[in-house]
Amino acid sequence: MVDDSIVSRKFSYIRESKWPVEAIDLHHVVVRRSRAKRFFLRLSVVVVLANSFFLVSIKNEPVTFIFGSLILSGLVVKLMLWKPVDKESVIIMPALGVQLETHYFSGKVVQRFFPIGKILRPVLLECVSPVTCYWSLSLVIRDEDELMLVFKELHPPVKMLVPIWKALCANIDDKERPDTEDG
Amino acid sequence: MWRRVASLSPLFSSIRSSTLNQVVVITHAYGNRSGVRYMTGGLKVYYLPWRPFIMQNTLPTFYGTLPIIRTILIREKIALVHGHQAFSTLCHEALMHARTMGYKAVFTDHSLYGFADVGSIHMNKVLQFTLADVSQAICVSHTSKENTVLRSGLPPEKVFVIPNAVDTAMFTPAPKRVDRNEIIIVVISRLVYRKGADLLVEVIPEVCRIYPNVSYLWKVSVSLLVRFIVGGDGPKRVRLEEMREKHSLQDRVQMLGAVPHAQVRSVLISGHIFLNSSLTEAFCIAILEAASCGLLTVLPDDMIVLAEPDPVDMVLAIEKAISILPKIDPQVMHDRMKKLYNWHDVAKRTEIVYDRALKCSNQNLLDRLSRYLSCGAWAGKLFALVMIIDYLLWRLLQLWKPAEDIDEVPDIILPKNQDGKVLQDFDAD
Repeated sequence: MVDDSIVSRKFSYIRESKWPVEAIDLHHVVVRRSRAKRFFLRLSVVVVLANSFFLVSIKNEPVTFIFGSLILSGLVVKLMLWKPVDKESVIIMPALGVQLETHYFSGKVVQRFFPIGKILRPVLLECVSPVTCYWSLSLVIRDEDELMLVFKELHPPVKMLVPIWKALCANIDDKERPDTEDG
Repeated sequence: MWRRVASLSPLFSSIRSSTLNQVVVITHAYGNRSGVRYMTGGLKVYYLPWRPFIMQNTLPTFYGTLPIIRTILIREKIALVHGHQAFSTLCHEALMHARTMGYKAVFTDHSLYGFADVGSIHMNKVLQFTLADVSQAICVSHTSKENTVLRSGLPPEKVFVIPNAVDTAMFTPAPKRVDRNEIIIVVISRLVYRKGADLLVEVIPEVCRIYPNVSYLWKVSVSLLVRFIVGGDGPKRVRLEEMREKHSLQDRVQMLGAVPHAQVRSVLISGHIFLNSSLTEAFCIAILEAASCGLLTVLPDDMIVLAEPDPVDMVLAIEKAISILPKIDPQVMHDRMKKLYNWHDVAKRTEIVYDRALKCSNQNLLDRLSRYLSCGAWAGKLFALVMIIDYLLWRLLQLWKPAEDIDEVPDIILPKNQDGKVLQDFDAD
């Protein structure tokens, strides 16, 4: 059941509760396929292929130069345009823990589970790189020196991170609250 | 944008607290200090991970900082960019990108520079490029204004003079006066040529020779010892150490090495006289700090003894300073400094400059290019080409990463006390 959704230019955020146990809270951030990006990707592939045919047609060109040129062009295309990630998910299981998943277009799924007892606090941080600055959601893990990024591959906007952060905080606060109900 | 942010943080905190302005500081990373940090009073600082290569200086990147500067200006909803210091590559690049993107720009020059050597000629040309299109400029003294106007060709009516101030809450006199039978002269500066370190090498032994242990003051024989405390580091430190060895002054000249800014006051209050031997100074904050601590130094006629940058003249000036020392009350000097130099006053005057800059008209690229073309026959064309490329890269960035994709940062809400007033900075702590 879809409880909430937010859409931006590059990402879609979907929040749902999983049947039959509605307590399980799922948050998905899905990459939106942009038509412009697909066009540029195909154009880049055409340019790389044309470049390689041109190099092959020139006589006396060393083979290593052709291969090097192909590899370099492929790397540039991959770095600039190709993102293999389909979506990243945060699955909050109350009293159990949090599972972080990364789904790739190839079908590969990378999962990381953190028991509720190991999570001290989720934090929203501003990250600065030499070329950009963005918000990120991280977990402070017990006995770990470094923060654990919730979204390793994607940089969703802060309006999508805030509801996930709130849900994680609510889950941690529930864990810390003493159980006052009698069985 | 700062190459060094520490010494002017009182200014930014004052601007932030005096009005509803938000202030964001951008500088490069220092050691492992990288990323975003929040200072006292909600002052936000971006430490960009562009590593310095020597003496905390970064290499110029020309267009490399355009993406990060654009991102920060958009996410922080910046209205005006204020750059500091002519030798800061980050400042020049940030002002260039800010003007390309249509932001108003203000530049503050803190130093005096020459005209004759290769380095100065090159730097003056770079300054001319940056200042060709700024909205307003600020200098820290009238002498500095003359120097900046001559170097950059900026119209004088665009340049404001706002002197620096001193944090008098931090620099207070010692609660108990230092023993006057022993006169301690304090020197705190970078030990480089421009700060007159070579003069100290000649002055210190001469003063120690004149005041060995017995001296005649007011025609009475008194026991008077003069000692020196030298704080600071630099390439000329070796010369001072050699001078100490040569004249056997190890017990009379104490070399402290580099003194962290937080410990400067404790060094100053251990002395009676502050000696500044700089060959040139646009505005010497160190002298204000010393006067605020009650040391006899450079200021109004009764607080100052000036000398030519010559060892003989400096020794005579030190003798005169020692003779008028009994008339000096450190607390009175500190109170006068408090009234004369105040960061809140500097902040108010700086905001007037900001208001003036924001009222300047917006100009498109073609109008701005004409200003660059007037910078010289060949330099003008080169400058115009640089700005055109910057403009094209900016447009490309707008397509690659539109402004809508950049999250705006929420406004900082400062904590309030029980009366509903915003909690002030705790500088006195």
